[in-house]
Amino acid sequence: MTALAYALLAAGFFFIFSGAVGILRLPDFYTRLHAMGKCDTLGVALMVLGLALLEGATLNGLKILLIIVFIGLANPTATHALGRAAYRSGVVPWGVRPEEEP
Amino acid sequence: MEGFVYAVTIGLALTMLLSFFRLLAGPTVWDRLSGLGLLGTKTIVLLLLLGRLFGREDIFVDITLSYALISFIGSLALAKYFEGKEAK
Repeated sequence: MTALAYALLAAGFFFIFSGAVGILRLPDFYTRLHAMGKCDTLGVALMVLGLALLEGATLNGLKILLIIVFIGLANPTATHALGRAAYRSGVVPWGVRPEEEP
Repeated sequence: MEGFVYAVTIGLALTMLLSFFRLLAGPTVWDRLSGLGLLGTKTIVLLLLLGRLFGREDIFVDITLSYALISFIGSLALAKYFEGKEAK
């Protein structure tokens, strides 16, 4: 069980690290938002699941599983709100010339 | 085997520095907000790992739950506040 928990921690850390590299290296705001939303949600959920396995079947483990449910609801919502607010403020996507945009 | 948890904690703190660079250097305010959101979600895992290392999971889990709520509401409120503005 401990080995499985450590494997989940390592996999989640890989996803979080790739999300951080994506938010540094990608060319514009929407692509960075893409890297941030998916990599971060999956990575945090995997790492917190690994920590819940390390904790065991106690009250604290149940609360940690509750954190996973909350992250799965809240993180895509925040990402969607950011993207929609940026689009309504007139941030032009990468590769679209300003005279072409609707 | 507790050394692995130490290694993951230090690696996560170094990864937070990468997204902190986006928070400092983002060209628009939206890049800064996305860096802030990334820092918030990483802090959740960092708090749980610190609770594991200190041996006080019982209080750190409650701190993590309230931090997750506050971070989510804060990022939603900031996105609503800057919506429709020509922010640079």
